Amino acid sequence: MHEIAGFLELTLIKATPLIFAALAGVICERSGILNIALEGALAAGAFTGVAVSSTTGSPLAGAFAGIVAGALICGTLGIAATRFRVDQIVAGTGLNVLALGGAAYGIVVLFGTPGVTSEVHAFGAGGEATLVAIALVATLGLQFAIDRTPWGLHLRACGENPKAATSAGLDPRRIRLVATLIGGMLAGLGGVFLSLGELDLYSDGMTAGRGFIALAAVIFGRWTPLGACGAAIAFGALSALQFGLQRAGIPSELMQALPYVAALVALTGVLGRSRPPAADGVALDS
Amino acid sequence: MVDATPVALELSGIVKEFGAVRALDGVSLSLAAGEIHALCGENGAGKSTLAAIAARKLGATAGNVEGQGEIGLVHQHFELVDRLRVWENVLLGREPRRGLRIDAAAAREHVRDLARRYGLDVDPDAVIENLPVGIAQRVEILRELAREPKVLILDEPTAVLASTEIDALFATLRTLAKRGIAIMVITHKLREVIGNADRVTVLREGRVVLSEPTAATSLAAIAYAMVGGKVPAIATRNATRLQPAFDVRNLCSGTGAHALYDATFEVRGGEIVGIAGVEGNGQSALTDAIAGIAPYAGTMTLRERPFVGSPAARIAAGARIIPQDRQREALVLEWSIAENAALGDHTAPELRRGWNIDRAARDRRARRIVERFDVRAASIDASTASLSGGNQQKVVVGRALAGEPIFVVAYQPTRGIDVGAAALVQSRLVESRNEGTAVLLISFELDELFAVADRILVMFRGRIAGEFAREAFDRSRIGALMSGAA
Amino acid sequence: MRLRNGILFAATIAALAAAAMAIAGANPLAGFAALARGALGGERQLSETLVQTTALLFPALAVAFAFRAGLFNIGAEGQLIVGGLFAGLVGASLLAPGWIAIPIVLGAGALGGGLWGGIAGLLRARFGGSEVIATLMLNVVASLLANYLIVGPLRAPGVEGAETAPLPLSSWLPPLLPNTRLTIALVLALALAALLRYVFARTVFGFELRAAGEAPRAAARAGINLTRTALVAMTISGAIAGFGGATLVAGVFHRFNVELSPGYGFIAIAVALVGRLDPLAIVFAAFAFGILQSGSLTMQALAHVPKDVVAIVEGLTILGLSARQLARREPAAV
Repeated sequence: MHEIAGFLELTLIKATPLIFAALAGVICERSGILNIALEGALAAGAFTGVAVSSTTGSPLAGAFAGIVAGALICGTLGIAATRFRVDQIVAGTGLNVLALGGAAYGIVVLFGTPGVTSEVHAFGAGGEATLVAIALVATLGLQFAIDRTPWGLHLRACGENPKAATSAGLDPRRIRLVATLIGGMLAGLGGVFLSLGELDLYSDGMTAGRGFIALAAVIFGRWTPLGACGAAIAFGALSALQFGLQRAGIPSELMQALPYVAALVALTGVLGRSRPPAADGVALDS
Repeated sequence: MVDATPVALELSGIVKEFGAVRALDGVSLSLAAGEIHALCGENGAGKSTLAAIAARKLGATAGNVEGQGEIGLVHQHFELVDRLRVWENVLLGREPRRGLRIDAAAAREHVRDLARRYGLDVDPDAVIENLPVGIAQRVEILRELAREPKVLILDEPTAVLASTEIDALFATLRTLAKRGIAIMVITHKLREVIGNADRVTVLREGRVVLSEPTAATSLAAIAYAMVGGKVPAIATRNATRLQPAFDVRNLCSGTGAHALYDATFEVRGGEIVGIAGVEGNGQSALTDAIAGIAPYAGTMTLRERPFVGSPAARIAAGARIIPQDRQREALVLEWSIAENAALGDHTAPELRRGWNIDRAARDRRARRIVERFDVRAASIDASTASLSGGNQQKVVVGRALAGEPIFVVAYQPTRGIDVGAAALVQSRLVESRNEGTAVLLISFELDELFAVADRILVMFRGRIAGEFAREAFDRSRIGALMSGAA
Repeated sequence: MRLRNGILFAATIAALAAAAMAIAGANPLAGFAALARGALGGERQLSETLVQTTALLFPALAVAFAFRAGLFNIGAEGQLIVGGLFAGLVGASLLAPGWIAIPIVLGAGALGGGLWGGIAGLLRARFGGSEVIATLMLNVVASLLANYLIVGPLRAPGVEGAETAPLPLSSWLPPLLPNTRLTIALVLALALAALLRYVFARTVFGFELRAAGEAPRAAARAGINLTRTALVAMTISGAIAGFGGATLVAGVFHRFNVELSPGYGFIAIAVALVGRLDPLAIVFAAFAFGILQSGSLTMQALAHVPKDVVAIVEGLTILGLSARQLARREPAAV
């Protein structure tokens, strides 16, 4: 019993950054923005959280800063996509490189030695639990918002047919930009959990591809908040299993690779096909 | 006759420039409440531009739009969100609310109420992508009506409708007009105009050339005004010796509303067989099956040999398809005329040298196409993106006929191009026919088929509903078959 | 006009880089000077810059090749790693004269990379799965796989750390400049660039790839097999990146090490974009980024500028160039 509770706890801890990032992915893609900069947003949130917590001594301040950092990264994608008609995948890749490089730069500038920051004031168990709860509540809230509110309807219209949305008097540019900002805040918070919740520091490469697993979770979850959250929890469980199975002789790399391989399998459609929003990743006409 | 009806929309001196191109050159038009006003013109005359300006979706370079109240615009290509429901589309942006959420029950009731009021029957919960085109159009209209407009503009509303649906549409428009709404219908289908509109205005090259009550004018006068003269002549159909060429038996392809069922017919060398039908009755399924890009059941033979395999194999066998959408299905827009000239034949021995494309041969072919089809371009190295629609289409048709194919399928070969280019394209197809090519001409314009076809097959809901030899061409009977009324 | 925009763009990025240097407490002028000295200040420095150029040129050509065919290969990093892995494993166990061993080692790299790219290509061609997602996933799997194999079942006896046994001297790529790390790999890369340029401009194969990339529906109707071109393009793209990884193994490090690439596969995306997907321009772009890479260490050592400023520059470049419309196939169903 104790083991199961421990396993569930570890699952949630591993899943929470994924949940935040996956929710960000869902909002963005439902609005029509294919956001592959989630990795960068996580890194930005994680690093900024640590940096501000170290300067102010307050992890709460760090959390707010991390939220802003995530919003900046995804918001830049939003601006690029809505004002400049960029290729969203290329822009997302650039933002990832920028954010990860910026964080590495920040480590040196703020902490003196490259590679890893010193330990900072971080969230205790209470803070972590709060963040987990926020992730789950956000999932439910987002699902409700998308399904039942006018904002959600407008979001869906934008992601399917921005021309029709414009015809109806909506502003797809603004809606998409807002979506990336909200998504960025969520992803930033996910990064904060990673650095100020789980590990109490930031190190180069800490995000370890979680932003990309989150993309897989969005697909598995069929672009819905509940689905993506579920997929993220499933991936978290795989991660949690890792330690136990390692003792049984299964190499850790195999376990770490599982979510990615699972995503590859999903691409074959053997787990069922689903359609992304029709205008996902498609630039708006000027 | 004193005209006391109030003016709902007044356009004065509208000028619209797109860069160096003057699409509208001082157009003035007035629309009275309760009137059905037809706006006619050839492709490129400026009708859609004017509609967009009138509906205030586009700004004019100069001139004035004066109208009271809301102006609704029903687009030619619907602007509906396919994966949302009818009520979500109709009330998008003006949803009834209850606290933070949408009041879905009130929304449904509102839509039902609108539907009742205007006689446009729809199920508020149906998802758009599952609806047939005629019903989807009703949703588009309802969406505009939900805004309580004083003016309703419809851009080519009958393009996708069968004649019973067209009658229903105009009955609806009559109802709306009686309620005082001013209606402008943009169409190039003159028969509808004469039958249903109170006034007609003709645009040509951005200017108004005719504006009369329909009672005071005639079909011939309107046609003359649209073209600015007589329609250019098409090459004459000579007597030909018919040879067996393309034969299809029990062809079935696709599923759902636009599928093809059990088509059996033949197209012989030396004849043009026309396929008449409203868009969406299986013509695309037929074309894609012949092209080899869609799976099908049934048999096809070309010159008595099995006509099977990949698109490349079918091209090699001597068949050429002129697709419906020149910009997305026929050309690589950014490429030059010369490079596009090779596309499709690029593996043929005439155009290749070992592993490479034979540039000299390719350029020769491109020059021949430009000359024979009067393509107006700076040079064969000009990008096709810089050409007008008519010239792009000429390149596409020219390329298809360049290799002297055995069998040509021309799917809407004169769609959206000016009258001169259309006549030239039709002439070249006739000339190919005269030289023994088998031509299958699929067109949504009955006039085009009447002008060049030797036989007409009518398609309705994926089946061949009737066949007419040229001597027996009968517009009303064919029209009835096209809408399933016979 | 394009030149003016390009200069404006480069100037903006330079200004931002200067700001980053200043914030880090360094003198931007000293920083740029150290960068230049470190990259071009002498024969040894220039040779090192060319080594970095070569390392970037292969994956950049790979990325551009796929892009021209309408596919987003974000997986050059993974393909490079797998190629290097294969080359390292084969090379360490092969003892033969250079003229036999070197082609085999390089070929193994191409095979490995081609396999890795081919997986994504297959997912796209056969199942319609997005190659963007596939290559992103495969990148991570590549590192994990390499890590696991090198330290686990394929560990070479007597080797500490995450690397293969060293390659025998006979398998080392002949140097272009004595006592430097610059080898004939540069020549091979330049030859490849010329070859690809020719393929795209003149051959039927290149014609079909370009058509498939720029107008897939028209290409399909013109008889081009989109499925086959997707598979072939991703495989060749992967093979090129893998070949590049092999040259790192056989030319620079003389063994495969999991730290082989400081992200060449991602920087290569910037190189491909700056070079507008044209192999010739990519050569020059690779040189520019090679300067950044090789000068960054000197910049750090002499002017105390964190070398990550270079990563920032690269990210900004990719972001800035994303406004270039790359011809794109219709988004794949996922």
